[in-house]
Amino acid sequence: MSDPVPLGDLVPGLERERRLAEIRREAERRGKLDVVGGRPPGAPFPQATPETGYYKIPLLKEPPWKWEIPLYFFVGGAAGAAAVVGAIADYTGVDRKLVKHARWIAAAGSVISPVLLVADLGRPARFLAMLRVFKPQSPMSMGVWTLVGFSSGAAAAAFAGFLSDRYGPSLPLRWLENAGQAASLAFGLPFSNYTGVLIGATAIPVWNRNVGDLPLHFAASGLAAAVGMLELMGHGKNRALQALGLGAGIFESWEGLRIEGRSDPHLDPLKHGASGWTTRTGGVLSGPVPTILRLLSALGGKRRSASLRRWAAWSAIAGSLITRFAWIRAGHASARDWKLPLEIRSE
Amino acid sequence: MSVTAFLTDSTLCIGCKACEVACKEWNGIEGDGLDWSGFSYDNTGAVGASTWRHVKFVERAPVPGLGGNAGEQASWTFSSDVCKHCEQAGCLEACPTGSIVRTEFGGVFIQPDVCNGCGYCVTACPFGVVARNEQDGRAFKCTFCYDRQKVGLRPACAKACPTESIQFGEIDELREKARLRLEELHRRGMDDAAFYDPTHTSVRGTHAMFIIRGDPRTYNLPPSPQVPTIYLKKGWRSSALAAGLLLGGTLLALLTDGRSGR
Amino acid sequence: MPGLGTSFGRGGATTAQQDLSNADAILIMGSSMAENHPVGFQWVMEAREKGAKVIHVDPRYTRTSAMADIWLPLRAGTDILFLGALVNYVLENNREFREYVVHYTNASAILREDFRDTEDLDGLFSGWDAPKNKYSPESWLYQGAPSKETGGEKAGHSDVGGGHGKDRGGEAQDASQFESDPTLEHPRCVFQVLKRHFSRYTPEMVERYCGVPEDVFLKAADAFSSASGPERTAAICYAVGWTQHSKGVQIIRTASILQLLLGNIGRPGGGILALRGHASIQGSTDIPTLYDILPGYLPMPLFESDSHQLEDYIKKHSTRTGLWSKFDHYFVSLMKAYYGDGAAKDNDWGFHWLPRITGDHSHFGYWLDMADGKLEGLFVMGQNPAVGASNGRLERKALAKLKWLVVRDMVETETASFWYASPEVERGELSPETIGTEVFLFPAAGTAEKAGTFTNTQRLLQHREKAVDPPGDARSEAWFMYHLGRRIKEKAKNDARSRNAGLRALTWNYSVEGLHTEPKVDEILEEINGYTLPGRVQLTKIKELRNDGSTACGAWIYCGVFPEPGHNRANERNPRDLLGHGWGFSWPNDCRIIYNRASARPDGQPWSERKKLVWWDEEKKEWTGLDNPDYEKNVAPDEPANIHSGTGIKALGGAKPFILHPDGVGWIYVASGLKDGPLPAHYEPLESLFHNPLYRQQTNPGAQKKERPDNPYAESPGDPRFPYVLTTYRLTEHHTAGGMTRTLSHLAELQPELFTEISPELAAELGLTHGDWATITTPRGLVEARVMVTPRMRPVRIDGRVLHQVGLPYHWGYRGQVTGDIVNDLLAISEEPNVRIMETKALVCNLVPGRRARGSAARQQLDAQLGRTA
Ligand SMILES: Nc1nc2c(c(=O)[nH]1)N[C@H]1C(S)=C(S)[C@@H](COP(=O)(O)OP(=O)(O)OC[C@H]3O[C@@H](n4cnc5c(=O)[nH]c(N)nc54)[C@H](O)[C@@H]3O)O[C@H]1N2
Ligand SMILES: Nc1nc2c(c(=O)[nH]1)N[C@H]1C(S)=C(S)[C@@H](COP(=O)(O)OP(=O)(O)OC[C@H]3O[C@@H](n4cnc5c(=O)[nH]c(N)nc54)[C@H](O)[C@@H]3O)O[C@H]1N2
Ligand code: SF4
Ligand code: SF4
Ligand code: SF4
Ligand code: SF4
Ligand code: SF4
Ligand SMILES: [Mo]
Repeated sequence: MSDPVPLGDLVPGLERERRLAEIRREAERRGKLDVVGGRPPGAPFPQATPETGYYKIPLLKEPPWKWEIPLYFFVGGAAGAAAVVGAIADYTGVDRKLVKHARWIAAAGSVISPVLLVADLGRPARFLAMLRVFKPQSPMSMGVWTLVGFSSGAAAAAFAGFLSDRYGPSLPLRWLENAGQAASLAFGLPFSNYTGVLIGATAIPVWNRNVGDLPLHFAASGLAAAVGMLELMGHGKNRALQALGLGAGIFESWEGLRIEGRSDPHLDPLKHGASGWTTRTGGVLSGPVPTILRLLSALGGKRRSASLRRWAAWSAIAGSLITRFAWIRAGHASARDWKLPLEIRSE
Repeated sequence: MSVTAFLTDSTLCIGCKACEVACKEWNGIEGDGLDWSGFSYDNTGAVGASTWRHVKFVERAPVPGLGGNAGEQASWTFSSDVCKHCEQAGCLEACPTGSIVRTEFGGVFIQPDVCNGCGYCVTACPFGVVARNEQDGRAFKCTFCYDRQKVGLRPACAKACPTESIQFGEIDELREKARLRLEELHRRGMDDAAFYDPTHTSVRGTHAMFIIRGDPRTYNLPPSPQVPTIYLKKGWRSSALAAGLLLGGTLLALLTDGRSGR
Repeated sequence: MPGLGTSFGRGGATTAQQDLSNADAILIMGSSMAENHPVGFQWVMEAREKGAKVIHVDPRYTRTSAMADIWLPLRAGTDILFLGALVNYVLENNREFREYVVHYTNASAILREDFRDTEDLDGLFSGWDAPKNKYSPESWLYQGAPSKETGGEKAGHSDVGGGHGKDRGGEAQDASQFESDPTLEHPRCVFQVLKRHFSRYTPEMVERYCGVPEDVFLKAADAFSSASGPERTAAICYAVGWTQHSKGVQIIRTASILQLLLGNIGRPGGGILALRGHASIQGSTDIPTLYDILPGYLPMPLFESDSHQLEDYIKKHSTRTGLWSKFDHYFVSLMKAYYGDGAAKDNDWGFHWLPRITGDHSHFGYWLDMADGKLEGLFVMGQNPAVGASNGRLERKALAKLKWLVVRDMVETETASFWYASPEVERGELSPETIGTEVFLFPAAGTAEKAGTFTNTQRLLQHREKAVDPPGDARSEAWFMYHLGRRIKEKAKNDARSRNAGLRALTWNYSVEGLHTEPKVDEILEEINGYTLPGRVQLTKIKELRNDGSTACGAWIYCGVFPEPGHNRANERNPRDLLGHGWGFSWPNDCRIIYNRASARPDGQPWSERKKLVWWDEEKKEWTGLDNPDYEKNVAPDEPANIHSGTGIKALGGAKPFILHPDGVGWIYVASGLKDGPLPAHYEPLESLFHNPLYRQQTNPGAQKKERPDNPYAESPGDPRFPYVLTTYRLTEHHTAGGMTRTLSHLAELQPELFTEISPELAAELGLTHGDWATITTPRGLVEARVMVTPRMRPVRIDGRVLHQVGLPYHWGYRGQVTGDIVNDLLAISEEPNVRIMETKALVCNLVPGRRARGSAARQQLDAQLGRTA
């Protein structure tokens, strides 16, 4: 047992009360106390203050999404970008095979995407509720309509292409194919990156702080994944794809540097903890790794070059996938942060 | 039909939690779990899918002058929290299904038969109010007792409050009441009494206003909440730029060198 | 509530909760009103908002303290010292309301020469009979009153029975005769005796032994006393933070003295509000579930002294003057309600059929008998003593000695499940295989599932409709009692033994209705209200009661609640004014503030415009005002008193507001009716860390410790093994023993776990961190609880030493959605002398970090713990 507490300081009376408060505050803060006759209270008790918020209980709710949604972001990004590549390749009259493969990727995405959304919602009928309204101020509403446009277009184009390959071309099929392709291009462009707006226009600090970058970032990431997939489907020597991959890789490297380089506390979830490491992994795999591999592949011999590009493709795809998971995880971490939404500065 | 609001006056709240329980009873909401939090007498933590009214227990090292009534009394303050029914509501703006609507009373109401559980509103609420129900995934929050208001009844929480800490009424009248109350509290020496109704931010004010003591952060109230729609412009601009770059880049790449791979 | 009963005449709150909003200051002490009476607390808030000073005195800083202007933390169990110092402050500073004191109190009465005060006898009053362990209160009487020698049997007190029957001051007939000195100067007048009695109750003593700093005390004393006088009034609210002490009645007495000195009784915004517990707990003393009174506070006859003659019984309990002069009217009417035609003049109205009190049959009295195997069976209805009663281990083990136990409840309580789920079973002390008790659990209808009347804390009867039929086999209490009675009567019909005569004579003919043959509750209330015989015309006021068998009345104080068939005033729902007239019916005679004649000066006019309530209307020649006058309507203020030879209320004249007292005044000094002294004196709790700073007498001499091996005590004062003060209390989120709240998720989630509140300083001393587990021990047992470290608990400095107080809410048990240790396992069974209540608010304990042992190891731990204390 230690000395008795100087009671003069512990009983009320305005002056005594004030002094007691000071003593307790200081003890709280520093874990020790130098006031003459004072002694730090042993156990800090949870407090609600302007510095601690409400017992450090986070203000915001965590995003309710699980794996389906980041996967959807990835699939949609790749599919959208693939549709763009496919359509442009068609218009520029390049390789039919590239066009076809790109369309397949887009088509596959157009099927998987709604499935993932339905999986998230739990019941197919719930997806239909999305089509009740058209709401420009809701990125999710806009996204769903984009998805609908894109999916119809991409599926139509792929389907018509498939039919004409199999049963020979015909005019209606040609029309369908053209219309589908035009739609998949028009919708694919926003489809590849609207998810950046989707999470950017929320109350989650790490997301809304990056709203200006996220669409670009997601577009680049989607493009890199689409390019990687095409390369792996046998277009490993296509120089245009190499150029696109390089462009995306460079952008992603810059994005990574941008995040690392800024000390804004809002970006903490991208740099610290599990979400930070996921972000970094995704960033390295999306940015420097494919970029360097691609540059190296330009130097080396044919064989080595092909293998390097394959590695670059794999890296970009993996990076793109991990990046989406990383952003969602960062969103969770950001929502758990009790300080930022209350504008409490870290010490 | 008048536009209604809550004015929750924490200087009158005795922390009895009758509002919290009345809300659950009226709306038939499940319990929230049986864990002891250790956060003063607050074991439900925050508003959420299964707690639409929530009483906060602000326990701090006794701060003289922050007491319930007098300028020299140590403090333990209580405040009943609820959906803010924002003038510019993030949840409502974000909802892709149109499930969230503004009622004729000015409240923000989720139509449970329309909500599909997308969860987007959850990320869009700057006050962390709305949440998805674990069982069926739909989003829930305070209905502003739309069903009661429809038939001319006061919301259950306001009705249950014994001390009129929760006042319900016409919004402009309540704002005026709040102004007078604040003057009165200041006159009584509660210099730190403050009115919380973020009209200065993009939320443009709320239909659930609060009188608190001291800093709003102590009550988990954000000093400057923003409705996320303000980020849309920037986001879509970036999206357009991204689309342009994607389109341009692809064109360029394929035009300059489309056949090399063959 | 003899504290209020002896002081003012009736054992009920003197005012209504709404009236608190009229107060200029409110002292809440011995209650956490905001937490336990939140709905009533709105009126405190309203007063506060109108500028009233709210003062809360409590060992803990509670939700009530948070709403107050001044909170004074005090060492548990020192209330009389604190209040005595307030009385002393008022007297020293001449703050008393002189005119009120002179006219409306017994301050001027002169005491007998042989009276000795605690100041003279070091903590005892004259008359202490050490061998008998009780007072012989002869010497407490007034100078001039007939004494035992001259007055025969009448003076003095009964031996057995609690104090409930003495609510009106006991056999107080003689108290109307005394010599007095209206100048209040006579050295033996009550006023001067009071001054001397409390002269050592000073602010310094308060600081030193209550732990309340002098400056804060003085601030509160000034705030309270300056809010009193002709223009202002102050109210006091209390609940079980005062009653559940070994001297609870005397605490309330001290408050009564204070309010009489300040002139705060019978006036708007004044009064003493006893905040009562369960929904109809006031009702259950008015129409009692107690063993020592009959409805309307008529004493239950005692085995020896009252057994023989009705005449003696009536003589003993009626007074010549005041409202009790009609004792026989109330009693005979009650007998007529019980026995109808069976009650006739020639059989003493059935007086002989009434049971007689033979000993202490209060809860603890019979429970200890049960523990000793002297009881065969028990009905437990709407109670959960396995959790709610002191010394839970003893209580539960006693249940195992019964042959049969009937529990009527809405849930399977700890009491109903003790035989397989109690800690005694876990510890191996009891086992279902060997317990012989046959347990019957009857499902009870909940409050919404039955119709009937509550009487709440402010004597207000409110009728409520049935919302739904009870499910399944669940039935109302009325159903159960009615049909049980019917069946017993059926059996008695063919059993000619004389002991069944009363049972056979009992009228038990309520009509029944509905699917479940529920008795009609309106008929019961009509009978309680009373009617004429044989015509059965409903009575409208108490005055109509007769002693000749021409009226029947189930509870005289409720007369007027059902003035005509179909007109149930308890069911009125149209309040007209602040006091709520038009909403329900407040006994007596729908008075919301009783003794309200005191709101007018002796000449009948209000003390002030601001504080007017009831006054004399010169033109109409009657009392009128904002409340129904608690007075003879047409007795003019200048009607002379004729106390020494007159009879009835008229004898009191026109200026004596306390009409139940034979002298018509409020009693600062209680000459007769209390077992532990005519004036309050500070005694330490039965278990205390300190010597009584004022007297050599350590504890209330009349209190019974019921000490025995299974009900042991710590050494007192200052048992080194138990260095902290323990106090127990309630949380808003739960209700008492928890059967109604721990079973509901909406409430269980709000306070899911037993915790103990301690100060950061104590936590530091013990190395405890917020959220840790700690085990709290007393000589009776041990419980574990989560540690809530909070600055709301703070050490107090007592006599130069730091004292830590430990707080424990007591709502948990082993059934329900949330469970926890039973705090009452820590408490001792003890009895306050007047009402035989236990001491729950001030004990000693130890607190050690860590959880308690489980299973059979718990037995060893407990044995070790108890062995240590043996
Ligand atoms: N929510 C809720 N309301 C209730 C109940 C419930 O269980 N829950 N129970 C009902 C019942 S049955 C009753 S009887 C009433 C009781 O109502 P209260 O009397 O208000 O109940 P408690 O909380 O037991 O005790 C009141 C206060 O006394 C303080 N106290 C402890 N020791 C002392 C002391 O020595 N002196 C003084 N001055 N104060 C002391 C305690 O710290 C506590 O704050 O409440 C009724 N209302
Ligand atoms: N340590 C400590 N102990 C205390 C106290 C304290 O302050 N400290 N306070 C004491 C006080 S003031 C009190 S009042 C007691 C309370 O102690 P108890 O009276 O033993 O406890 P309750 O939980 O109120 O028991 C009431 C039971 O009645 C049931 N019930 C409710 N409505 C009905 C009905 O209509 N019919 C029937 N048949 N049953 C019904 C409920 O489910 C509940 O189980 O505890 C006392 N014990
Ligand atoms: S507080 Fe949140 S949930 Fe409520 S209206 Fe505002 S944005 Fe919507
Ligand atoms: S979860 Fe329901 S209410 Fe929320 S945004 Fe989606 S559809 Fe609208
Ligand atoms: S308004 Fe209705 S739904 Fe909203 S918190 Fe109050 S009671 Fe609950
Ligand atoms: S009901 Fe009123 S007083 Fe009680 S906690 Fe809610 S707001 Fe506060
Ligand atoms: S539970 Fe009933 S008696 Fe208790 S405060 Fe609430 S309304 Fe009043
Ligand atoms: Mo009680």
